[in-house]
Amino acid sequence: MLKDSAPRIWRMRDNLYRIRYSRCKACGASFYPARASCIRCSSRDVEVRVSSGLGTLVEYTVLYQVPARMQDNAPMVIGVVRLDEGFELYGVIVDADIKDLRKGMRVEAALRRLRVDGSSGLITYGIKFRPVIGAAHGEGSGRG
Amino acid sequence: MFINAGGAVEVDRHFDKGFKALALEAFRRLESGYGSVEPDTLVISSMAPESMSEQIGIAGVIADHLALRRLKVFRVEMGEASGLAAILTAYSLVSSGLSRGVLVIGVEKVSEYPVSLIAKVYSMIGDSDYTGLYGISPASEAAILAKIYMDRYGYSYEDLFKWPVLMHKNAVKNPHAQLRFMLKSDSYKDSPIISEPLRLLDAYPFGDGASALYISGAPGDTAVEISGVGSSNDSCDAVSREDPLFFRSVRESFDDALRMAGIARDRVKYIEIHDSYTPYAYIVLESLGLVERGDAPRKISMESSSIDTTYVNISGGLKARGHPWGATGVYQTYEVFRSLLGEAELSDSYGAVQSMNGPGSQSYSVIMRRVR
Repeated sequence: MLKDSAPRIWRMRDNLYRIRYSRCKACGASFYPARASCIRCSSRDVEVRVSSGLGTLVEYTVLYQVPARMQDNAPMVIGVVRLDEGFELYGVIVDADIKDLRKGMRVEAALRRLRVDGSSGLITYGIKFRPVIGAAHGEGSGRG
Repeated sequence: MFINAGGAVEVDRHFDKGFKALALEAFRRLESGYGSVEPDTLVISSMAPESMSEQIGIAGVIADHLALRRLKVFRVEMGEASGLAAILTAYSLVSSGLSRGVLVIGVEKVSEYPVSLIAKVYSMIGDSDYTGLYGISPASEAAILAKIYMDRYGYSYEDLFKWPVLMHKNAVKNPHAQLRFMLKSDSYKDSPIISEPLRLLDAYPFGDGASALYISGAPGDTAVEISGVGSSNDSCDAVSREDPLFFRSVRESFDDALRMAGIARDRVKYIEIHDSYTPYAYIVLESLGLVERGDAPRKISMESSSIDTTYVNISGGLKARGHPWGATGVYQTYEVFRSLLGEAELSDSYGAVQSMNGPGSQSYSVIMRRVR
């Protein structure tokens, strides 16, 4: 539990370094994490896609009671991000002063360090989100 | 199917007791209160004994410590909802004929590690490859849902803080509650923020506990009938759902239990619900269909602790009775059992228990009534 497993991190690489989501070919719903069936209509006809990583901050909280192994990051900003492909997920928001955060601001995926296993030296990386530099607030703006 | 006996240990930081001593104490209280029982099956509900007590096969170890023999032994684990999942399991064992009498003991050691480690273990109730790995804890998810709730329905934080005040008031009268002291309506001002806007007083306290029930097919001298049970599931996270403020699995499990009992929801005069964080109390009451969406903070009575004619969390709830994880569903059921037997006002009506893991990720419901 408190030690990282190299095979686990390796096999999760597609999910850690990219945002893989499911899109249902039957009803058109997109959702994260990717699943074998549609969480809306139960169709098995779903495909896995990779998100552009661009989205909008829908809601957020500042977490002070941070779980073990994440304490170097305290306090953490946890947000709900609506990706441009039309699904929402929870993500860690970085590279922003808490006072500058606004609902509706544009954010983008960024590869960041998640945690370090001191005993074996394993460093786990994963996707967090940062504000799009120079972007205006509001959905649909700030591309490019 | 009947509940014939029950007992509970005070929820507290029991630095002097491990899980074996807690389970034994709950069993002793059951027998001292209702007479000796002769189970042929032991079902232990416990969420995280591997992490908190370095114990696998906890049910076998407890069976040995209680010196019960010739038993069928099981442990049931479904995160925070383990307790009620264990009661559904016991119900199934007795109704199938495999067991004659099932001793259910919910037991959990939660409190004796640093808060960050407890928060880490508690974070494992979600998907560990997603929220768990990123440190997106249950408290932060509850905080986000609180903000969405306040935004959608136009409540302030102070409006929502009614719930902890009410739960503390109720817990004062519950002999096995962890937080038996009153709060003022502005007590939050001195309470540290755990994930804004939620404060420590919006979250359940960390405490250890054990509670026991005896379930059999015979009513005996005093008994409460299990009239209906239900269970359902949903996504592990709330935000991938069409509406994060409606816990569909809570509704489905409750509707299934009502249908099995053959009653309408207004026949339920007392319910214990899973209020791990303040916003979940309101979302659960609305998802159960006991109050219109967005109305729970307005409609909950601070005088009678009721919504319309249904009493809610007379025990003090997870918020103030406490939430020893896998034991909680057994505590809730014991509290409703005890009230149905002891409160004249409830002697001719139905009581219910609602339990869930995470934000309605998996749900269980039980409906009961006094028969003797």
